Amino acid sequence: MLVVALAVYPTFGTGYGVRAMLQIFMWIALAGSWNLISGLTGYVSFGHVAFFGAGAYTGAILISKASWPWLAAALAGGVGACAVALVIGYPCLRLKGPYFAIAMLGLNEVLRALVSYFEGLTGGGSGLSLPTLHATVPIYYAMAGTAATVTLLTYLIITSRFGLRLMTIREDELAAEAMGIDTARHKLYAFLLSAVGPGIAGALAARDQGYIEPISVFPLATTITMIVMVLFGGKGTVWGPVLGAVVLFVSQEFVWARFPYLHQLLFGAIIVAVVLLMPRGVLGLLQVKYRLPRTI
Amino acid sequence: MATPVLEIDGLSKRFGGVAAVDGVSLSLEPGRIYGLIGPNGSGKTTLFNCITGIERRDAGRVMFNGERIDGLKPYEIARKGIGRTFQVIRVFPELSALENLLVVTRGGLADAEARALELLRFVRLEGLRNEYAGNLSYGQQKLVEFVRVLMRDPSLILLDEPAAGVNRTLLNDLLDAVRRLRDEGRTVLLVEHDMKVVMGLCETVFVLDHGEKIAEGEPGVIQTDERVIEAYFGR
Repeated sequence: MLVVALAVYPTFGTGYGVRAMLQIFMWIALAGSWNLISGLTGYVSFGHVAFFGAGAYTGAILISKASWPWLAAALAGGVGACAVALVIGYPCLRLKGPYFAIAMLGLNEVLRALVSYFEGLTGGGSGLSLPTLHATVPIYYAMAGTAATVTLLTYLIITSRFGLRLMTIREDELAAEAMGIDTARHKLYAFLLSAVGPGIAGALAARDQGYIEPISVFPLATTITMIVMVLFGGKGTVWGPVLGAVVLFVSQEFVWARFPYLHQLLFGAIIVAVVLLMPRGVLGLLQVKYRLPRTI
Repeated sequence: MATPVLEIDGLSKRFGGVAAVDGVSLSLEPGRIYGLIGPNGSGKTTLFNCITGIERRDAGRVMFNGERIDGLKPYEIARKGIGRTFQVIRVFPELSALENLLVVTRGGLADAEARALELLRFVRLEGLRNEYAGNLSYGQQKLVEFVRVLMRDPSLILLDEPAAGVNRTLLNDLLDAVRRLRDEGRTVLLVEHDMKVVMGLCETVFVLDHGEKIAEGEPGVIQTDERVIEAYFGR
């Protein structure tokens, strides 16, 4: 029902409505991806928007300089983000706790500096414009597909022994090692998987907006939003990121329309409330309280 | 004489200026239960950590079934067939009791599940299989940790204070289980402070003091050893 409704929505929805849905899909893909590495293994990534930016630039460069069709460029964005994750994952995933979080924060700044520096390819600080194209509806479907794929992937992982092994890293990495689990390899796999969704979403967003610049695709605020969405919905659950993305995006739009300066305050209040009152998030809380299976 | 399961030769580990393990050599034969005792801080747990690769040894050799294992990563050593429990319980608290066992297995899931349920039944935790391990009592968590080790079918099992905090009834079951493992041909090395347990269970006991092995022998002989008495009670 919901799938059908979402599929036919662009035929009767308003321009604003379609665009808002597209944004929700994007946030589901981003939050769901952050959940794969940070919700499951407990390695908190404070620079996950780096993969979004890497995908955006990969896609935008291929579209504007090599005239790639946008769908292919979007997939290439996923591959590009994955490549970045491979290069930095190996050294960074040896770091534990706050050190990993800070290293990821640093990665984002490095990438932003790099795209600003290589002006010939990226347009530097003045940004990169893409050829005009009206493709909001096809991009809507592509973004919906990305969100659905990330959620399905999360479901498959969480209900498998691979997912349980990722959770042992969060629960007790040393014990996991001593029990024969190759934690380094598992962390890297989770990290690579968590980079693909943001990479594709970044390239799609770049195509949709038609213009990108370093500050628009590497903002720390995007990472924070992903984190808050997952924490709100329930980290380490299948539907937590979806719930968090929908609820927070809708409430943000709602508040933003009425009180332009209040939405950041609201966001801050939600962070504090979630961390203090329900660190497991909505679904995490229900899962523990009512012994719900891992499929939620 | 059969090839030793585990052969440690001149193993040393220092933390700054402290020699936690100092030139320890020992050899374990298959199908026997060994005890490792010594006062607090004598290096028992560090020795376990060096065998399982959690600490990097500074000098010495560790051979497992005739194969050198020092320098391997902990998970590689575990896969070779060494299982261990920890002094401080290290179950995966937000995984259920059943998941705690399943997660360490590879290969067919149905077989793994059957084996896990059999082991949980064995320690009478079958009814709690879907409970988060972190919600179980101390003794129950200890049992989960114990049977989790068995899921990988190890040939050498290192137990770090298995009796601590376990009630009498449970303890007897646990000791029977250890004997049964021995009868299946596995080797057990256990650190234990409860001397009744050590004397009743172990066939050979090693005594550490200040990182050095000061005695080795049958429990009865160890009990009257001058150096052992001195290490425990002072001169």
